[in-house]
Amino acid sequence: MLVSRTSQRTNFILSISLALLLTLILFSYPGSGTNGRPNDETVQYKGQPLSIRRDPLTRAPLIIRGIESNLLEIKNVSKLSRKEITHIGPSLVDKYKSLLKIEPDQLRLKGAEKISDTWYVSYWQTFQGVILYESSFGFSIDSHGRIKSLGALLYPHVQAPLTSKISREEALKIGQKQIKGYKKLKCMLLAESVLIYPVKKTNSIDYYRVYAFNFFPEEALHPASTVGGWAVFVDTQTGKKVLYEELLKPLGCCIPEDWVPPKPGEMKPKW
Amino acid sequence: MVKSQSLKFLFIGLLVFLMVFACKEKPEKYSLPKLGTTAVDFNCQDLKGRIWSLDQVKGKVVLLRFWADWCPYCRYEMPIIDKYYKKLNKDGFLVLAVNVKQSAEVALAFTAQLDLTFPVPLDPDGKMAKKYGVYAIPTNFLIDREGVIREILIGEVFRDENILKDLLKNYFKM
Repeated sequence: MLVSRTSQRTNFILSISLALLLTLILFSYPGSGTNGRPNDETVQYKGQPLSIRRDPLTRAPLIIRGIESNLLEIKNVSKLSRKEITHIGPSLVDKYKSLLKIEPDQLRLKGAEKISDTWYVSYWQTFQGVILYESSFGFSIDSHGRIKSLGALLYPHVQAPLTSKISREEALKIGQKQIKGYKKLKCMLLAESVLIYPVKKTNSIDYYRVYAFNFFPEEALHPASTVGGWAVFVDTQTGKKVLYEELLKPLGCCIPEDWVPPKPGEMKPKW
Repeated sequence: MVKSQSLKFLFIGLLVFLMVFACKEKPEKYSLPKLGTTAVDFNCQDLKGRIWSLDQVKGKVVLLRFWADWCPYCRYEMPIIDKYYKKLNKDGFLVLAVNVKQSAEVALAFTAQLDLTFPVPLDPDGKMAKKYGVYAIPTNFLIDREGVIREILIGEVFRDENILKDLLKNYFKM
């Protein structure tokens, strides 16, 4: 009887362990959709079959691909001007508005460049004219004018303050205070902006309207210097620091021998 | 004996003082690995959930690239790199384009916009970049089939496609 009870217990423990192990394997397997990675879904949008991958929190599309069809076709792509490119993104948003859940006029051109007959175009999302930090909407246009897919990080239903309660000067002082030895390091403010900073929580997003500052010590200005800088975001409503981050330098190209330090305005900001 | 001991303590004290002083109010400094040294191994997950380590890709020529979507110089080299990845992947050319300190959603949107096909591992806390002494982006490490770092290229160097082509000619018939 004792032996049987012991063996029952052992079997029970073994079964539980096995079940746990199986669950662990299943949950860690890539593509199972259980590790926070959203799966692609197929939808019919106004008769057009599309493959969509959505952001797990906002449910806004991260990727939209046309299935055996293009999202948009641009005529006379070889003669495409920058002005026309500015309008392509909004046209695309207009066409897929109920999927993308933003308005066409919320886009602002981030960059457009032609490499080997293909245009690569990207935009920011804005809220009341203010850029949303790390938002993006972009696509490529091939030599035949076809846009086959798009990539996006958009925030539908943004709720953020429309004005700032504290002044830029106050915020700058708060930002500078975050850097130890700001004066001693001869730090400089190399880029600044007002942004909407979305902070993702488990089931919601907090939208902060922030003063964003990029500080770099003088030493960092030489491209060969391995010293980095800092990004500090200060809430325009409370004056509280909402982001403090070490910055890597974005470098244009290799360091020429006759290098001259750039003027602060020539440094690219982190947005 | 006592004198030599006091000197030892004084020396250690001085060393500690110097270390503390040196650490105070200094921005982070990074040091890149040396050319010809074995690349430091890593473990990181890409956008498709695959785990990558150098050990696992030995025998391949690896372009280990660090980037972020806010870096304007990182963007337009990507299609050029992808072109060579598509061309030479079957011959053992692997690109691991590590996104530094951003979310999977940011990296995914970026790669979809540019139609990139190579693996994009994620380095959300920047630990891997730090391990490699990356102080600016883009930074590229060309690692040979034996896992040795042969080239370190900082900045937007591949916008001139020939630079990448010439580098790869050392490893592949082109």
